[in-house]
Amino acid sequence: MTTILLVEDEPEIRRFLRSSLGAEGYRIVESPNARRGSIDAGTHKPDLAIVDLALPDYDGRELIRDIRGWSSMPILVLSARHQERTKIEALDAGADDYITKPFGVGELLARVRAALRHAARAPAGKPLQLGPSRIDLQARRAWRDGVELHLTPIEYRLLGCLTKHLGMVVTHRQLLAEVWGPTHVAQTHYLRIYMKQLRDKLEVDPMRPQYFLTETGIGYRLVADEEA
Amino acid sequence: MRWTGYVCAVAATAACTAAGLAMRTRFDLVNIAMVYLLAVVTVALRYRRGPAVLTSVLCVATFDFLFVPPQGTFTIEDVQYLLTFAIMLAVGLIISRLTESVRAQAKAQAKLEAHAQTEGMRSTLLASISHDLRTPLAVMCGASSSLAERGEQLSAEERTALAKSLFAQARDMSERVSKLLQMTRLEAGGITLTRDWDSLAEIAGAVLARLREQLANHRVILELPEDLPLVRIDAALIDQALANLLENAARHTPAGTLVRLRAKRAADELVVSVEDYGPGLPAGDVERLFAKFEHGVSEGCAGGVGLGLAICRAIVALHGGRIWAEQIPGGGSAFRFTLPLEAPPAMPAETALA
Repeated sequence: MTTILLVEDEPEIRRFLRSSLGAEGYRIVESPNARRGSIDAGTHKPDLAIVDLALPDYDGRELIRDIRGWSSMPILVLSARHQERTKIEALDAGADDYITKPFGVGELLARVRAALRHAARAPAGKPLQLGPSRIDLQARRAWRDGVELHLTPIEYRLLGCLTKHLGMVVTHRQLLAEVWGPTHVAQTHYLRIYMKQLRDKLEVDPMRPQYFLTETGIGYRLVADEEA
Repeated sequence: MRWTGYVCAVAATAACTAAGLAMRTRFDLVNIAMVYLLAVVTVALRYRRGPAVLTSVLCVATFDFLFVPPQGTFTIEDVQYLLTFAIMLAVGLIISRLTESVRAQAKAQAKLEAHAQTEGMRSTLLASISHDLRTPLAVMCGASSSLAERGEQLSAEERTALAKSLFAQARDMSERVSKLLQMTRLEAGGITLTRDWDSLAEIAGAVLARLREQLANHRVILELPEDLPLVRIDAALIDQALANLLENAARHTPAGTLVRLRAKRAADELVVSVEDYGPGLPAGDVERLFAKFEHGVSEGCAGGVGLGLAICRAIVALHGGRIWAEQIPGGGSAFRFTLPLEAPPAMPAETALA
């Protein structure tokens, strides 16, 4: 049975999450604060953690760093609106995705399923299918409608980084550090230019992308066909 | 500031002494005392009690020393001059006290007026909130209590319909509250821009994806040139401005209306437009559309706190741009804003990086 750790101080929010996640067949472990959450993460060995960023005892971001120190379980953060900075910091601290309050259960369940699927995926998987495009990252080859495409080495690296977090959000900083190196984390324009190139080559309608999604002000999310 | 009063006290006394010395041969001592009194009144009218008292004391002393016999000493032979001194001191104190109370009253009045203004603003805000939130709250109370208390008597479809309307109303309310908070934040100057090089095309794509439901009944065309330059902006805020303009277009035009989002470069700025081919702008002052709590004529039950355009204006102003509305000849309205362009950042060729 899949176990989900829920670190949230508001009892009313815990109540509806408990009932809706419970109805989907997940086992829920509830922690009302970060200290308890840290202990429960160790003793219950959950498959996924949902962490509220505004906890009464200490910052949710610290808890995320703490869990990341020993576990690669997917972590989803719950955050309030207009808190882009906090969200980005939580993602940079090791969270995989975020949900903005208030949210519908449908949205939450979709994120939970995507995160669990992401965790279960083999690290160097099969070729990526994005609608008409197919990319073999290991062989560094790509096709669109059966015709081979040329991707530059940086485009492959960017694609590789997004694929590693398939279905999850990757922040600008993470992408820049991984593709261009830690001294380039402020060069967001590199990303704008290369994302446009990737979309022009791989999306059906680059202006309205279906696979390379923009998380405005935060980062990008690659969604492959199996995620839809 | 604090010392000007005292400097004036000394200056006024000196001036009176000069005048008194000139008058001495032709006028009585009483008239010279009057000149000194004038100095006390003038200083007391303009400054606080301290300078007024100082003027009184200085005037009395100089008057006594220079004019009252025996001259050249502070000795007083005639007791009547003691009365002169007392009167001068009293006049100085009374007038400075009067002036101070008048000043205090004026200050209180100004404060009251400013308070009345914020009070007026607050009541408009409250009226607007209560008007806009009461209906969704009533629906939420009704629907949720039906589910909680009468749920078993309802058919499954009715239960689902009630729950769905509860969800929709709650979403809507959250949207409105968040706009109110955003406006308050923008007004209080509590927002600093987090600027980064960003692509308007990307932001537009994300906004259109997010507003898919609201725009489902409209035909939306995206017209962005391939070589649109990057802009250094706060992406989250520009995203919001674009979303507000598109939501407005969807709300104020009938289903099936064409809505066009376009951007083009003009000299050293980017002009972003949301155009619709609906009924056009309401008659009257177009600028008023951008004021707070201004509802479009057709809005009626369509809702919205009337903050969307005011928020857009504040966001665009923070970026150093302009925003305006135009009537489209032949029917329709256009909302346009500009974003200043900066020299594009350097992008090393790939061979140098790879």
